[in-house]
Amino acid sequence: MSYIVLDKNKCKSCYLCTDVCPKELIKKSDEIGKTGEFIVKFEDKENQCLGCSQCAIMCPEIAITEVHKE
Amino acid sequence: MQVYSTPKAIKENSNFTFCPGCDHGLAIKTIAHVIDELNIRENTIAVASSGCSVFLYNFLDVDCIESPHGRACAVATGVKRAHKAQGNNKFVFTYQGDGDFASIGLAESMHSALRGENITAICINNTNYGMTGGQLGPTTAMGQITTTSQNGRNREYHGFPIKTAEQIAQCEGTCFSARVALYDIKNIINTKNTIKKAFEYQNQNLGFSFVEILSSCPTNWKLSPKESHEKIKTELSQIFPLGVLKDVKND
Repeated sequence: MSYIVLDKNKCKSCYLCTDVCPKELIKKSDEIGKTGEFIVKFEDKENQCLGCSQCAIMCPEIAITEVHKE
Repeated sequence: MQVYSTPKAIKENSNFTFCPGCDHGLAIKTIAHVIDELNIRENTIAVASSGCSVFLYNFLDVDCIESPHGRACAVATGVKRAHKAQGNNKFVFTYQGDGDFASIGLAESMHSALRGENITAICINNTNYGMTGGQLGPTTAMGQITTTSQNGRNREYHGFPIKTAEQIAQCEGTCFSARVALYDIKNIINTKNTIKKAFEYQNQNLGFSFVEILSSCPTNWKLSPKESHEKIKTELSQIFPLGVLKDVKND
């Protein structure tokens, strides 16, 4: 199963990762981060994550620290 | 299997202090990946400048020296030559903004290129003075509204923007000059490969290598991070065309 490791403390709610995910697995959460905006969450209930690392490459804050691919 | 990890050249537990969606984070991360790939972390000296680019030494786990405003290339020249005189071949690169490289430090930058100093300069072009509040800079596009050009940059009053990568490419001491962007995955990977090439040219003692990175400034452009990337893709990359402008190995 592919998955990402998301560091919630680093997310600044720019939502660039939500645009690049081909499976739209990264979405706005209802948790407020350090900029006062809703941070993102990673939800993969049907094991759809490809491990393509596009979200990690795009994240300007290095909040997505690891990507694991099966 | 782990396919992506945080670059080792980024300090542990460091949080970037840039605005949300700022491309400085992407640029520093990309440079850190290249330093890891070339395995030059122990041998590198980075020269930071004034502006938002000054924070480099908080995040990058290499030796850093801070230079006066605009003088990063001059400081890098000294660092490189002093170490060379002692028999150490250190890897030296500067990390500057466009106001630092192309306005305040234009003489230092241009003459480093003309001398063919064996250093690498990386210029983050976000078309304004970002840290001080988005004033008109040397690279501000025609018609662009900033805090000091409320009706947009015009020819009569402000003149034309400088195309840094083209100017540096014309200097005979330059071995590599390119302009890249960070607005999508393809371009981020291309940026990484271009910076890697510039770094390798320094290791081969070919001369001054230069990479200009078109970067977003969502706060001062008053756009969202996504809209800023769209603006670079549709508008700025037309004014500042992307690509390699000089490459001594291919010419």
